[in-house]
Amino acid sequence: MKRSLLDPRSKLVLFGVATLILMAFSHPLFLLTSTGILILLVCLLRLFRTWVLFLKGLAFPVLTFFLIAWVAFDFETGWVSGLRLFTIGTVFFTFFQTTSPEDLSNGLLKMGCPYPFAFVMSASMQFIPFLIRRAQNIRDAQRSRGVPIDGGWRSIFYLPAFAGPLLVQSFKFADELAEAMEARGFGISGRRFRYEPRFRWFDWVVLGFSLLGLAVGLMIRFLSSQP
Amino acid sequence: MILQFEGVSYFYPETDRPALDGFHLTVQPGESILVAGASGSGKSTFCRASIGLIPHFHQGRLTGKVFVNGLDTVKHPVHELFRHAGLVFQNPDAQLFNQTVEAELVYGLENLGLRPSEIEKRLAWASRLAELDPLMNRSPHTLSGGEKQKVALGAILTLRPRLLLMDEPFTHLDPEGTEGLRGILRSLKSEGITLLIIEHRLHEIIEDVDRILVFHQGRCVKEGPPRQVLAGEIFDYGLNLPPLQRFFNDLGIKKPIFNVQEGIKELKKHPSLCPFHDHLMKPDTDSSKASPASTHPVVEIEDLWSAYDGHPVLRGIDLILRQGECVALLGRNGAGKTTLIKYLNGLLKPRKGFVRILNHDPLKKSVSELARYVSLVWQNPNDQIFRSTVREEVLTGPKMFKAYDPRWCNQLFERFDLLPLLSRSPFALSEGQKKRVSFAAALSIKPFLVVLDEPTAGQDEPSRSQLTSLLKQLREEGQTILFVTHDLEFAAEHANRWLVLSEGKLIADGAPDEVMAQTHLMIRGGLRPTQRFQLIQALHGLRKEET
Repeated sequence: MKRSLLDPRSKLVLFGVATLILMAFSHPLFLLTSTGILILLVCLLRLFRTWVLFLKGLAFPVLTFFLIAWVAFDFETGWVSGLRLFTIGTVFFTFFQTTSPEDLSNGLLKMGCPYPFAFVMSASMQFIPFLIRRAQNIRDAQRSRGVPIDGGWRSIFYLPAFAGPLLVQSFKFADELAEAMEARGFGISGRRFRYEPRFRWFDWVVLGFSLLGLAVGLMIRFLSSQP
Repeated sequence: MILQFEGVSYFYPETDRPALDGFHLTVQPGESILVAGASGSGKSTFCRASIGLIPHFHQGRLTGKVFVNGLDTVKHPVHELFRHAGLVFQNPDAQLFNQTVEAELVYGLENLGLRPSEIEKRLAWASRLAELDPLMNRSPHTLSGGEKQKVALGAILTLRPRLLLMDEPFTHLDPEGTEGLRGILRSLKSEGITLLIIEHRLHEIIEDVDRILVFHQGRCVKEGPPRQVLAGEIFDYGLNLPPLQRFFNDLGIKKPIFNVQEGIKELKKHPSLCPFHDHLMKPDTDSSKASPASTHPVVEIEDLWSAYDGHPVLRGIDLILRQGECVALLGRNGAGKTTLIKYLNGLLKPRKGFVRILNHDPLKKSVSELARYVSLVWQNPNDQIFRSTVREEVLTGPKMFKAYDPRWCNQLFERFDLLPLLSRSPFALSEGQKKRVSFAAALSIKPFLVVLDEPTAGQDEPSRSQLTSLLKQLREEGQTILFVTHDLEFAAEHANRWLVLSEGKLIADGAPDEVMAQTHLMIRGGLRPTQRFQLIQALHGLRKEET
């Protein structure tokens, strides 16, 4: 995890504004320039290799989006839609690669978000890899006894063989987790963080530029849509 | 006193059998106590009641009083008790929920609202005690089972509880990890922390504790110093006695003998060593454990290489499993054992190297097809249960392969004591019963090879004995078996061939005694000879002295 110098709150605003602006504009030149800037940022943060791996997952929705928009409208709308999804995906990737779930939940708490909500959000990010591993084990166990869930249309008939154990184990796991959290003081009042997020001068600068960028962007968008 | 139970009874919701039944106990500060007993005897319930999870987290009916460091657990919520008593749960995965090991350790301290300087101080202390310094920046879910166990322990230690409870901490540890955890527990004891350790494998910890409590049907039926308790009548309570004690008990010597030195001392008291020698050598002359009669290969592996995320996992494995063999696959956590067994039924396909399963090329057959020949019994039976009745669960394989043999399946139901359970939901069974269902399901298709993954992990003595007799039967019937285990006493008892993996390489392959005699290979594989083997060596020395 690359730690950034920015407070998670200012970063949240910066990336939120970037997402809004990317959604607001569809000019091909704007999107291509944004893509260039984002790739440069990814390289500067030394995330290029991880980003390439991430793109493997992003490729399918981008292509689907492109095809649907092409078929429904025209080719230009298709590739602009695909590119927009690609840039927004990269914005999210950069944000989560530079913000740990703890930092994010601390930031949300400072913004007035209730503690249980912030904790559940960060803990669920932690448990996705665990559930993936469990799902893999269940799949292996069922395939080992001849249940044909190797893929293909027949797998659909054996969905309970996969979903049943996964559901039961997820419930059991959630129960065990709640018990362990309770035993370590989850939710008691007066919690104090080891690293409290602190807003520094450059956070204010980033916040100011983000809001200014958003205002200018929305104004241009509004004026360009006038007859 | 640090912990006190006064006539405590507890019923889980919607049950009419008490999990704790009129329980009394007093624990003094600084004591270290081993809690033993069969599954379902109330050990985990006792842990929950000791830190206030009963009655605050688990509903149900509680009578009697529990005091932790003088605080009544009914009147004080868990978040007031957790500074005094900490519990390391059985499943380390379900108690690690932060992004890094460091964040995991400070989580409880942040909840306590401590100053950052105090947090740093406690973090340094706990990470030193639990030997976590090299892991601090790692993500908990990337750690091995043993490392996770240490993190879970460290996360509780930072709270500086005066009482520490650990629920089956040795279950998933390899011999080195076990030795490491024993060292940590000794350090904790020297720091004055009261320890309550629940464990089935008594010999792992018995020498380090002051007192043993034996639980049976929700009651503490025996308590006292380990030697005193184990010298008494304890056979009805499903305890897995230390291996040497079992050996001497079989010879009519009813003494608690915990280690090889004590065994040798006992041997020296006797005028003739012949009965001991004969008894120790007996398993090797057992016809059912003799070398396989057949040379017919079930699995052939040649120069098999495997990698995960660019890191080599298996490195040039050469191996032939022959019909009728009973093979133990041993090695540290992460040595490549699970990866290797996944090649035995085609779950993993060889990219570099050659694998043949009963002359079938796994590259040309799907796992579902190969499952007809090789059955895998996984460590966690919950991974496979999905049918509505036990009968349907066991018959899933035979019906899938159109190989249903009613006579054979009825035999299996009988052999595994499943007849009274056939119409019950497998989800509602105990863990031991589920394990039996998964064994029966694996054997129901009459496979050529049965692979068992950690069959004794977390099993109490009755389940272990049942497994022992099952393996004996299967070997007598000429079934080819391979099992992965950290339980070397079990491996020595059943396997006629040991395979030792270390860092993806097969470093030893031979009869158990031959492998154990090669000290350098045992050290390389992170293994230690069984107590029985050490006693045989000592006996040879004594006999030489005699002659």
